[in-house]
Amino acid sequence: MTGAGMRNRWGGIAFVAPFLLVYSFLLIYPLFNGILLSFHNADLFGGERWIGLANYSRLLQDPTFHQSLLNTFKLALLIVPTLTAISLALALALNKPGRTPAIFRGLFFSSSVLSVTIVTLIWRFILTPDAGLMAEVAEALGQEPIPWLSHPDLTIPALAITTIWWSVGLPMMLFLAGLQQIPEDMYEAAALDRAGRWTTFRRITLPSLKRTTILVVMLQTAAQLQIFGQAQLLTAGGPSGASRPVVLYIYEASFGRWELGYATALAEVLFMLIIAVTLVQYWAGTRVKDA
Amino acid sequence: MAAGSSRRSMSPLAWVGVGIGALLMAAPLLWTLLLSLKANAELMRDSGTAFSAPYTLENYASILRGNMVFRWLLNSVIVSLGTTLGVLALCSLAGYGFARLEFPFRRTLFVFVLLGLAIPEQAVVLPQHRLFADLGLHNSYPGLILPGLAGPFGVFFMTQYFRAIPRELDEAAMLDGASRFTTFWKVLLPLTAPAQATLGVFTFLASWNSYWWPLISATRGDMFTLTVGLASSQMNYAQTSGLGFLMAQAVFASIPIFIVYLLFQKQIVKAMAGAAVR
Amino acid sequence: MPSLELENIRKAYGETLVLDDVSLTMEAREFIAFLGPSGSGKSTLLRIIAGLETLDSGEVRLEGQRIDGLPPGERGVAMVFQHYALYPHMSVYDNMAFGLRNAKVPKEEIETRVADAARVLEIEEHLQKKPGQMSGGQRQRVAIGRAIVKHPRIFLLDEPLSNLDAALRMRTRVELAQLRQKVDAAVIMVTHDQAEAMTLADRIVVMNDRKIQQVGPPMEIYARPANTFVARFVGSPAMTLAPATLVAEAAGEHATVRIGDGAVIATRVPRAGLPETGLELGLRPENVRVVAAGEGSDTTAKVELVERLGERTLIYGRLADGQPITAEDEGFSRVRIDDNVGLRIGGEAAHIFGPDGSGHHAEASA
Repeated sequence: MTGAGMRNRWGGIAFVAPFLLVYSFLLIYPLFNGILLSFHNADLFGGERWIGLANYSRLLQDPTFHQSLLNTFKLALLIVPTLTAISLALALALNKPGRTPAIFRGLFFSSSVLSVTIVTLIWRFILTPDAGLMAEVAEALGQEPIPWLSHPDLTIPALAITTIWWSVGLPMMLFLAGLQQIPEDMYEAAALDRAGRWTTFRRITLPSLKRTTILVVMLQTAAQLQIFGQAQLLTAGGPSGASRPVVLYIYEASFGRWELGYATALAEVLFMLIIAVTLVQYWAGTRVKDA
Repeated sequence: MAAGSSRRSMSPLAWVGVGIGALLMAAPLLWTLLLSLKANAELMRDSGTAFSAPYTLENYASILRGNMVFRWLLNSVIVSLGTTLGVLALCSLAGYGFARLEFPFRRTLFVFVLLGLAIPEQAVVLPQHRLFADLGLHNSYPGLILPGLAGPFGVFFMTQYFRAIPRELDEAAMLDGASRFTTFWKVLLPLTAPAQATLGVFTFLASWNSYWWPLISATRGDMFTLTVGLASSQMNYAQTSGLGFLMAQAVFASIPIFIVYLLFQKQIVKAMAGAAVR
Repeated sequence: MPSLELENIRKAYGETLVLDDVSLTMEAREFIAFLGPSGSGKSTLLRIIAGLETLDSGEVRLEGQRIDGLPPGERGVAMVFQHYALYPHMSVYDNMAFGLRNAKVPKEEIETRVADAARVLEIEEHLQKKPGQMSGGQRQRVAIGRAIVKHPRIFLLDEPLSNLDAALRMRTRVELAQLRQKVDAAVIMVTHDQAEAMTLADRIVVMNDRKIQQVGPPMEIYARPANTFVARFVGSPAMTLAPATLVAEAAGEHATVRIGDGAVIATRVPRAGLPETGLELGLRPENVRVVAAGEGSDTTAKVELVERLGERTLIYGRLADGQPITAEDEGFSRVRIDDNVGLRIGGEAAHIFGPDGSGHHAEASA
């Protein structure tokens, strides 16, 4: 909208300038700075040397990095499908009017508003064999408590369980929103066609949820590729890096060993990875047939 | 609200499933609560005693008696409030500018901001840390608040909201001799109250729960936010006062969040869904 | 001094021309209607006067002063929007006071003006309410009140009656006419409804295809339409246009024409200056009367549609050559579909249109 005689064309910039300044200085500048840093040998407090692609060739041969990549993928593969399935099931079951479903929905969403430190605090004392809830239950059943947080094969599942408990709320809400957009007529037509519950689900509900499902999968994958707090606090990435995800490795490289240049290179690789995975998922999603 | 399966009542199988799920969801919370109500000494012997009396409020009293936890709480409040107010101010102004005003490069600048939505925290956190170190901003409130103001989601959100307001109102205001700022301040901004609530609550929660940045920027104990403080407690718990006290801290830290959650449940869900769909 | 002058206004959106060399002069206290179909440019012209759009070339002058460079708030114009555009979060009082406050008018003066306007519009008891608590008609009055308190030199009304249901529309039409008496300003109303324009305006500006087609008082527009567009747009049901040829042998200074089915009609249109070919005969329905069988008729038509309106009946039929024609009959007409009826044509009120569409009309009687 232009009005005749608006005093000057640049006046509008005054409104967007404050944000743009903060944004450019605190987000865009560090973004490019980071890329630059990854080509240097730098520590956190100044002092750097240009080393070209040395950081990148190093990470290509770094077994710890490879291990952390593998761990990250394992975690994502454990968490995302399970989370999607559970949240979908909950959404289907709780997509009803009335107070009881509303209370349940609220319960399932409540864990999502907690911070990672609260969640890990809670789950540490569920999983730990000395004092945890699971240990108590095991004892009561005459079993040995399971060493969730110390056995190399169990630490990743432990993190997965914790994360699923923590994250089920948001996907559930997204599915609920998607379910509510399905027109009632489709179900009525199916009922008139004598479609059973399972058939209705398979032929009507699921296809209509295609977009939401893709969205949930994409979001959760991107989020779980960046998993950090639970690993740091519950298992410290152990034992011996068995549950160390990439971001924890980045943290240790930068704040444990002060290797800022290397850490930034790792971060850039992760960034590229997230973009690549997201794009692949998006592309794959558009290939899946519609309802 | 219900569509589809609302007309059929839940099958017993579904009820059982939801019931089990609810139990699994609630059990950790209840366990934490129980632990917090037991004396530390008892728990050291056997944490199974959490299932039986006697219960005590000693751990909470200990918190209330003055403790780092309060300092952490205060820091969280200041940082989260500061971030929220800052985001609302910057994003409302920018949202109005992008939605309603004409100025050179408007479209380019908006795309520039939108692209920021794709940037994950990891790609910027380390350089940000060094930048703030150079500026001497670590272990300070501005240092904790400023990074939170740079996110593009708020601008995108507010721009969409401003766009949805009928332009006739702007035109009426123009004919009423209102300047751009007056139109913003007196006519359009009041109409964005729901968006302000949604964005405000979302920002507050995100800021309150954020872990990475406060972890690496606030290294002095007295500048910890509640979230970071809890992490340090957790790591030191063997040396500190014990399991009951630790869990009391967890419950205590959850209370503000649950209050906000109960008060603003609708806004939170809307905002998180909106953030997801972008 | 004329109050508003529009001179050679031209506007385009990118490649698309929206207003093509529009000029107009308006006197003080005149009520003018911009009448035309959508896309004619009438709303754009209004918005240019208001300052909500810029013009590409041309000038807008108000009482001699050029205003097309001024921001809307400084032009001395006030506008009532089609959907009122009231500020939803402000009370009625604040809605009306907003503009005055921006202009730094003293508080007592604001109170006086708002009270006066509220009294005139009979919305005094609503002053503290919000727009959402009022009915559509009341909201319109608030919108008018917001315009009145500014004491503008021109009122701009954008399709004021389009939003209203039929009953409310009649009432508001009367109110607008009364309002017009009470304010000392010129009024420009944009509308696509020719009945509104006819009843309310001192002069009508008929627009089509980005240009002004004709400017004049309502009756002149009705009786002497400048071209076929105006002839068909104003007057309901629309005028019948039938291709016609001059009857060269007919004597006298007025044109006599023959239409497609052979009927010969003597008009009072001066013959001098008429083009020889490509003519059309224009007949308004009230000048084509159904006559009883046996009475003298000028031609016959086969009835295709009958509309009974109560005080008259409209007959839509076809002449022998297929030419559609609209005629009138009395309210209790017995005519039915597929009847063949005789028509008496009032040639003395007929119009003739040339190949370029321009209108030639009967000489005015002394």
